[in-house]
Amino acid sequence: MLLDLQKLSRNFGSVQALRDVTLRLETGTIGLVGNNGAGKSTLLKILLGLLPPSSGTGTILGCDIRQTGLQLRGRIGYMPEAAATVPLLKGGEYVALSGDLYGMPFRDARRRAHEVLNYCGLGELRYRRLDEYSAGNLQRLKLAAALVHDPELLLLDEPTNGLDPAGRMSMLHLLEDLIAETGKSLILCTHLLKDVERLCKQVVVLHQGTIAKSGPIEEMTRAAENRYEVHWRDVSSDFLPRFRGSGGQVLHQEEPSEALVALPENWQPKQLFELAAQCGTVITRLREDDEDLERLFMRLTAKETKGTQELTA
Amino acid sequence: MISIARVALIQVLRRKTYWVLLGMGLAQFIMFWSVIYAVTQLQLPEPMKQNILREFGFSAQMDEQRDNGYMVFMERQSVVVMILLAFSGSLLVGSDFRQRTLPFYLSRRIGKRHYVAGKLLAVSSLILFLTVLPALALFVEYGAFTSGWSYWKENWRIPVAVLAYGGVLCLVNSVWLVSLSAYLQRAAPIAITWSSLLIMPGRLGEYLWKASDNEYWRLLDPWRDMRLIGQLFFGKFRKDFDRGLAWWALALIATITIVAFVALVRRVRAVDVVE
Repeated sequence: MLLDLQKLSRNFGSVQALRDVTLRLETGTIGLVGNNGAGKSTLLKILLGLLPPSSGTGTILGCDIRQTGLQLRGRIGYMPEAAATVPLLKGGEYVALSGDLYGMPFRDARRRAHEVLNYCGLGELRYRRLDEYSAGNLQRLKLAAALVHDPELLLLDEPTNGLDPAGRMSMLHLLEDLIAETGKSLILCTHLLKDVERLCKQVVVLHQGTIAKSGPIEEMTRAAENRYEVHWRDVSSDFLPRFRGSGGQVLHQEEPSEALVALPENWQPKQLFELAAQCGTVITRLREDDEDLERLFMRLTAKETKGTQELTA
Repeated sequence: MISIARVALIQVLRRKTYWVLLGMGLAQFIMFWSVIYAVTQLQLPEPMKQNILREFGFSAQMDEQRDNGYMVFMERQSVVVMILLAFSGSLLVGSDFRQRTLPFYLSRRIGKRHYVAGKLLAVSSLILFLTVLPALALFVEYGAFTSGWSYWKENWRIPVAVLAYGGVLCLVNSVWLVSLSAYLQRAAPIAITWSSLLIMPGRLGEYLWKASDNEYWRLLDPWRDMRLIGQLFFGKFRKDFDRGLAWWALALIATITIVAFVALVRRVRAVDVVE
């Protein structure tokens, strides 16, 4: 078990950043996604043992998140989003410093720093000062600094943020290799859902301080047999109300003449066309929904946001 | 903690402009070294020796009339230290906040107490290298050039006092500088504020003292306060009144240092690690 959180909440004054988060995740690669203000940062702080929860309990790597901050951080490799460089230091010294701060003996930290720098493709640059590193190499360097003590879990905060397409691809390749070769668990916190799809097996979608959805990405994005994207003409008809009345579900609708729908059980598209014809509506497009993570995310967060907006109104 | 301090010192030594200040400190040390060499080793007439010593305000022994030479040396070195610290605060501490390097430190297996202690140790090391260690070297030099053991026996208190005074300089200056740098972060504001805090109150205190003839106004001068505290360790004061003033100075400096330390601890917040 990688982490097990039970009814975890965290308040900042009157603001509730996390609300009764219950989450159980097995070891593996996990994407943590959510809009700004969804509670990702707060959850990361709690996972790093830097912030105690206001209520609830939990363990990560078998450690109680309330009591084992330093011990816990020694088993996690954290790659921050920010530049986080130490001026005038050289690449090798920076990674070795990270090893020192993780409690490694002086010599081991230096030896290991050279190993991970080579692994991350920075062997040639280890004697260069940090201000001479490109954005892509700096991200690799931060990854090396997170790997130096051979952690059980890697916590990566926006590892491809600010990189050009080539740099992003290169970073993703490196992470893919790392996962394949070492089998380390990884929590990837990012806004780039394509990166999550590529690297992670599981995803946790946070929205407004709660878990909107979590589980294996493959299951969540698998095209449902009875789910279709429908476009139609003649919006004034009672097509949609009658569809709902027949047991169909409208999963997502942004435009008045298109929607993502789930057909009632035992229905085929033929029945949908028949219903449209009865309502005097012409279906102009019908295609099986092959919802990817991005659309799933938009659907989950848009639905919740819309609900909240309606409540506020 | 040690690794944080070590890296901070590497940062300072890699900036060439700081070598100028370190060179100034070294020049002063060589000057005092030469004075001691001249008065102990060269065949000079006694009045000339006394003139040299008077010129440099130097006395190798505890002396009621003059300040102790080692303390004078440390005080003069403090000027170099003050300038060096004014410009290194941004590099050693400010950049951690400005470039968000704090997450790098605090997300490792250390707490904020280790971070704070590491930075204080780094600044203290700079002060130590420029004041305490050279002063002890001068003491050893004087003793080595003096025949017999009497110098060591009679002045055993001097190295203890040098260490104690140096400890005060290290503690006070490091806490003040690290706190100031954590809040102001950039080099120019730190340098201006640091210099102003250490010079302006002293000038004001001197003006008020002369205007009102009240010696207590002189407590506004932090350098003088630190010197008075140092004299508590050396055990000699020019005036008896200064002995009473030294305890007030100690109370004042301790209060400011505690306030600065609390402000520093509040500034280094682990919860800022992930944004």
